[in-house]
Amino acid sequence: MSDSAPDELDAIAKGDSAAFARWLAGRELRLRASLRSFAHSVDTEAIVQEALLRVWQLAPKVTRDGRSEPLLRLAIRVARNLAIDATRRSSQPQPEWVEAPFEPAPRPPDPWLRRRIAECLGALPKRPRKALESRLASAGERRDQDLAEATGMRLNTFLQNVGRARRLLAACLERAGIDLARELT
Amino acid sequence: MTDRERDVLLEQVLSAHREPHARLRIRSHPAWHDLPDSDRERAFEAALALRTLEAALDPGGLSTAARAVLARIGPDRASASE
Repeated sequence: MSDSAPDELDAIAKGDSAAFARWLAGRELRLRASLRSFAHSVDTEAIVQEALLRVWQLAPKVTRDGRSEPLLRLAIRVARNLAIDATRRSSQPQPEWVEAPFEPAPRPPDPWLRRRIAECLGALPKRPRKALESRLASAGERRDQDLAEATGMRLNTFLQNVGRARRLLAACLERAGIDLARELT
Repeated sequence: MTDRERDVLLEQVLSAHREPHARLRIRSHPAWHDLPDSDRERAFEAALALRTLEAALDPGGLSTAARAVLARIGPDRASASE
């Protein structure tokens, strides 16, 4: 997958959500990384998700100018404008926009890496694993309060277990020689 | 604010759950506003690492945030975030 294939962009423009899902894989992280200079002034998670919703709506109007990744370029521009507006509304000083290096070639999913992560996840203590897996299964659809109740934990206990799982998982991956930051590139 | 309280806020912010508040609009997480300024960059980097891990774990390469967006767009363009 070196760039958005013309067929993929056409499918997205016509409203094919499965094509949009394929496009999203890999691009979301590059979009997210582009917002680093706004980390102090806005909730970048909300900005990323709103920008992607807007890109889905705007996709039929995207014109191709011969450059690579027209949808990703649009997403980065939309996210940046949303972040600037949100910063303005919060009366925070505007951060200096730092152009992230544009790397248009997302990597395909890596089965070896997926197995290593699954092994580390499987090795977690019971309650941290249960908390993190409920977060993963929910995929952002349910509030933490609801997930805590479903897993039989109080909210604070649930959040502490998610944090513990995250740290243990990172340590396990580090022992396996996996650097998540490097996986971004 | 204790370290434990800060960690609890951070874990809330790291969730991909965000409330919509209008068509195509997404609310910031309330915990993000309570997060000390010194922890916001930490939250950003932790989210980047976590979404990387989630995408690597998912057979389709999708993080929980990407899956949340796809759930919102629904089966067709007109249904996005309604």
